[in-house]
Formats: sequence, structure tokens, C-alpha cells
Amino acid sequence: MFRGPVAPANEIHDFHPPIAPSGLFWVVPVPDGALTISADGGSFTLVMRNVAVIDQPRFPALDAIGSPATMTFTLAGKSTGEPVMYEDASKHFRFTGTRAACQLEAQVEVPSIGFSWKSDPLDTSKCGFAIIGEEVNGRYYDS
Amino acid sequence: MDSPIQSRPYLSRRDILKSSALAIAPLAIARANYAAARQQPMTANGGTDPYPIPWLDKFGSHNQAAGPNNEPGHIYHFKGRVVRCNNFTGVGTDNQGNRIAFGAPSTDYGWMQGEYWAARTEQHGTFVHI
Repeated sequence: MFRGPVAPANEIHDFHPPIAPSGLFWVVPVPDGALTISADGGSFTLVMRNVAVIDQPRFPALDAIGSPATMTFTLAGKSTGEPVMYEDASKHFRFTGTRAACQLEAQVEVPSIGFSWKSDPLDTSKCGFAIIGEEVNGRYYDS
Repeated sequence: MDSPIQSRPYLSRRDILKSSALAIAPLAIARANYAAARQQPMTANGGTDPYPIPWLDKFGSHNQAAGPNNEPGHIYHFKGRVVRCNNFTGVGTDNQGNRIAFGAPSTDYGWMQGEYWAARTEQHGTFVHI
């Protein structure tokens, strides 16, 4: 979130999970039932409630302090049908799918500073880039 | 004639503490051995958490910016469904009634559902990058 134009100096909140000890970057498990995918695989809705995150507005500074926070969000998307294939043999990954259109609504709470915020409804958000499909990487790339 | 054996005139408090510590050491070691012997045998194949992708972004994180030709997932040794999206923009309201915009080119989300390799075997799960 930014107060004023989008620029690092204007960032007042930045919500994400902590980086795991393994280095896994801002990733958390999805509970059963939170992700719904259409039968044809072309659209989805992900609803996550009260995810433990941190508010770390000065990231990526190494000394950026993170305040405990919670986040509830809905991420929804749909394939546009435009095919996409990305592959890099040197990095052992291949993605096959389509471009997509995604939207997001969210609410956050930072109890330690008495801050909460709620976005406008899902259909008011915009997304500049999205893809949906299948990926193989690492040991599965050559199999 | 002076005696060839010289005894120390007194023991300092430090000497007494050192001696005490040495005296109880065998007891402590025996207790540790007893605790180890009581543990159940177990496997040691590593944890079942996913491995991060090896590639580093410009900030040194195991991450790649969402975009064409970039690694879309965040889990390595993975096969399954993936969604990656970024550059969200929108607006919301805080608890003081202030309208605050959210989103930037780096505001990205993604989820991964499928099989991944950890603890030396196949695992299954669904994960989200926030």
C-alpha cells in the first residue's frame, strides 16, 4: 500500500508471509476446501482466511522490521484461452497453459498499531499479467 | 630443612566451584545417555516442506518476478497446476476512513497444486505465494 504515487519511499504497508528457514519464499499451505477449480481447469477461486503474515513495508532491506498481521483474501481468475509455453532447459522448468485474467480482494489487520484495511470488492481490482496452466520442474522436468 | 612437598595454603572459591563442576559431570553425562537411550528409533529423511526454487531474484530471494519466460512457481521438484499473476491495482479503506490504494508491478500472487519431492519421496499439496 502506498500513500501517494507508487514508489518505495511512499510504501506504508507490505503484507506477506515470512520467508521460511529453507528459503521458500512467501509461501504457505492452502487448507482443504480453500481452492475451487472448475471442471475444465479454466477458472478458479482461492479464499484464504486469517493467514498469519507480517507487515514489512521496508522490504527488501535486510533490517526491515515485520509486524505480525493477518490477511484474508479472495483471488479469482479465468483463462483467456491464449496459449502460453515457457521453457528453460538450463533451469529445468516448463510451463504449458494460457494467459488469464485475475482479480483480488483483501483485508488486513495489524493489531500492534491498531491498523486495519479492506479493499473494495473483487471486481474493482485489476491485474496486469496472469497465467494458468501446468508446470514441471526439477527432477520431474526430464521424466 | 624445608619439606619438598608444598601444600597450597588455602582453596579459593573459584577452585571449589571448579571442583564441584567436575564432580557432577559424570552424573550429567549418565543422564544424557539415559535420555538418548529412551528415544524411539526414527527415520531421518528430511522434512516434507517443499524446496524453494534455486533461482535468486535481484534481492537475493528464491523468487522470480512474475512475467513471460520466468519460472512461474516457487516450489522446486514440482509438477502440477500453477497460477501466477502480478501487477495488481485497486483501492480500499482503512479503519480511519482513509482511502488507500494497493498494488504495484511487484504485487504478485500464485498458487501451486500437485506433486513435489521432499523427504526423499513424493508429497502432495496445495500452496499459495502471497
